[in-house]
Amino acid sequence: MPTPTPTTIHDLLGNTWLVLLVATAGIMAFLTVNTLFLVWLERKVSARMQNRLGPTEVGPAGLVQTIADMLKLISKQLITPRLADKPIYHLAPWLIFLPILAAVSLFPFSESYVLHDLNVGLILVFAFAGLTILAIFMAGWGSNNKYALLGAMRSVAQNIAYEIPLMLAALAVTMHAQTMSLRGIVEAQADLPYIFVQPLAFVIYFISGLAETNRAPFDIPEAESELIAGFHTEYSGMRFAMFFFAEYSNMFIVCMVATTLFLGGWHGPFGLPGPVWFFLKVYGLILLMMWFRWTFPRLRFDQLMSFAWKILIPLALFNLLLTAFIMKVVA
Amino acid sequence: MSREDITLLKESLGKEELLRTLDDGEYAKTGFNYRSQATHDAIPAIAQIYLDRGYFLEMLTCLDRLADDEIFRLVYAFNRFDRCERHALDIDLKPTQAVATISQIHRSANWFEREVCEMFGVHFDGHQNLKRLLLPEDTDFHPLLKDFGRIEDAP
Amino acid sequence: MKPRKDAAALLDGETYFLNMGPQHPSMHGVLRLLLRLSGERILECEPVIGYAHRAHEKMAENRNYQMFLPNTSRVDYLGGMIYNLAYCQAIEKMLEIEVPERAEYIRVIVSELNRISSHLLWFGTFLLDLGGITPFLYTFDDREEILNILDRVTGSRLTYSYGRFGGVTQDVDQEFLSMSTAFIKRLRTHFSEYHKLVTGNVIFQGRCRGVGVISPDMARTYGVTGPCLRASGIPYDIRKAEPYGIYDRFDFDVATRNEGDNFARYEVRLDEMEQSCRIIEQAIANIPEGPIMPAKPKKRFKIPAGECYFAVESPRGLMGYYIVADGSDIPSRIKLRTPSFSNLSSMVEVLADTMVADTIAILGSIDLILPEVDR
Repeated sequence: MPTPTPTTIHDLLGNTWLVLLVATAGIMAFLTVNTLFLVWLERKVSARMQNRLGPTEVGPAGLVQTIADMLKLISKQLITPRLADKPIYHLAPWLIFLPILAAVSLFPFSESYVLHDLNVGLILVFAFAGLTILAIFMAGWGSNNKYALLGAMRSVAQNIAYEIPLMLAALAVTMHAQTMSLRGIVEAQADLPYIFVQPLAFVIYFISGLAETNRAPFDIPEAESELIAGFHTEYSGMRFAMFFFAEYSNMFIVCMVATTLFLGGWHGPFGLPGPVWFFLKVYGLILLMMWFRWTFPRLRFDQLMSFAWKILIPLALFNLLLTAFIMKVVA
Repeated sequence: MSREDITLLKESLGKEELLRTLDDGEYAKTGFNYRSQATHDAIPAIAQIYLDRGYFLEMLTCLDRLADDEIFRLVYAFNRFDRCERHALDIDLKPTQAVATISQIHRSANWFEREVCEMFGVHFDGHQNLKRLLLPEDTDFHPLLKDFGRIEDAP
Repeated sequence: MKPRKDAAALLDGETYFLNMGPQHPSMHGVLRLLLRLSGERILECEPVIGYAHRAHEKMAENRNYQMFLPNTSRVDYLGGMIYNLAYCQAIEKMLEIEVPERAEYIRVIVSELNRISSHLLWFGTFLLDLGGITPFLYTFDDREEILNILDRVTGSRLTYSYGRFGGVTQDVDQEFLSMSTAFIKRLRTHFSEYHKLVTGNVIFQGRCRGVGVISPDMARTYGVTGPCLRASGIPYDIRKAEPYGIYDRFDFDVATRNEGDNFARYEVRLDEMEQSCRIIEQAIANIPEGPIMPAKPKKRFKIPAGECYFAVESPRGLMGYYIVADGSDIPSRIKLRTPSFSNLSSMVEVLADTMVADTIAILGSIDLILPEVDR
């Protein structure tokens, strides 16, 4: 069956600036609704796991709770530390989620819904994710606070360390799909999702993804009981909301990449539309992340780093070698 | 307590009869198996003997007896882990007299002595960090003295 | 605060000071730790305490013996029943008051329930400090049951004034005994859940094994008692070494481990909960009928001149009341020897060569109650 030609928004709207505007607005709206939903989901999931109810008052089953919290955060006073490095301090919350907006535009939600289908889409997603590290360090440095700086340094070290196995695992998938275009990778999984072909890579990717998003058990940079709130200690009100927003959006991106690379993207066994399958898989992975957070204690920082450098990276390299060997010799 | 321990302690206490073995009735009433009294300069040697013999410093406190006998009485309690053998050691001090510290020998005495110093004003010679423990750093009164903070004196 | 005399020498650009607390989201209370760090390694640690000092010992000199009873629970609010009953037993010792059998059994049951509830709370908060948030909710569910049981009988959930000199104030009914039995059964099934969730977890073991080792000699020098001491290999438990009340009639083991690290202390406390369950079962099986106060209870308590030192095993270690009486109905001096005071002073040495990330775990594992340290 021939692949349907994707209808690009360019054809629909014609004007590039209009395209950008619509796309940005659309992605912002999508991410906002997504974050609102995810925050509620996290609170409900954690509550049920802990024998509690979670939000129940505001809206049906507490669904409007996050909106109430956002309203509260918006109304808070924005306190800036007197000795903070003002340009860096103010830029950090913006820089942390703008790259995510760009990254979302690269994903294929179905055969026909893709905003930008670049043939190096995968690399670009990782490049954008790397920008958030910069923003984290800016937040920690600009706050002029020992705790924030400690948290930021730990976060940067952690992110850099776990980027490597992340990309090595993705590289293994690329070797199978023979392309770095995200759409191409999903199309190559039409018969069998890559999780069955590369289970080790999936595990490595998922664990590294947890560490990239600073989720438990890798949440030392934000560990409440150790460093107050880590790199975003000195941010209040709406600025704090942006960090929060960025964390959940980051989680979403990581799970979208995992779905695209390993779970077959929009493919499904029976006749639901592509985007439905895509989101089912993404949210399934997000639920898994939430499950991990509320079950495990957190790793100490040096344990975290040695796990990345001494265990994950050798495993990921071994996986690459094994893949190369099997592909060359066996297949 | 073994015979040689008792002899050793008596020698360092300097006075022959002052290590009293309390009979069971007195233990039942007071919780101590042995009572002794010493002078303020004998305490480091005694504390060393107790440490070497396997005792730990259970408690160190002070009693304000200025009204009755015009002395401060320091009470040390030593005990063992392998059997219950609680020794009470009393040291009577005149109001401005200082006593040697045992915080290098029994580390728990470090904080006990700091507390006694801030609450009663007793000075421990040789203590490396005799500043306020529970009270604010700049406190210049000693709360547990009997003539401090009496309800009758309240406005 | 005046700057340290050696401050200039210390500002060498290699080390820096970090102040933890007294307000801190971790669970160990109003404790301030002044840490001198080099990178992530602690070179020097100075605990600053006194933020919860309420002058209980001074209050004792301004009240008569009965009026001091409510104070006792508030010194250590998690072991409130044990402290309260220990005070009553100390006075009974001085006045040679005989306590009826039934009251003794009731005291044992409620004390051990209190011990279990304290350890359950410790378990939850220790995991919370380590980042595992969920067990906290589970243990509080169990603890809620204990608080309900004790509330029925004493009227309070946390700080009790249940003991009187000579016995206890309210009798327990059959409902109390059956609720306690049902609770023990339920708790035992939950122990296996806790073990599955926490004990075998690789991350938990990595944070706890080999961390915060207290050697037996260090423990003796610092006067460390309780589970911290037993985890270092010394099986010292006042209930066995110096039995008070009717503890010599019960068959239970003293939980001991040898490693002295966080994990050993964790296991000792879990074992202690199991032993407390055993004691409660035996007490419920053997509790006799009878009065709960002496036939002719005294109304006025004038204690003749003398002194008494009475020690009990609180959930945190050796707790001692040193009461000096002068013949009137107001004590001349009450000194509270609290276990957390000495346990915390050992932290100066234990924390001196660890990483700052281990600080929270170690402090959590020694089970501090700051109000007990500060009194």
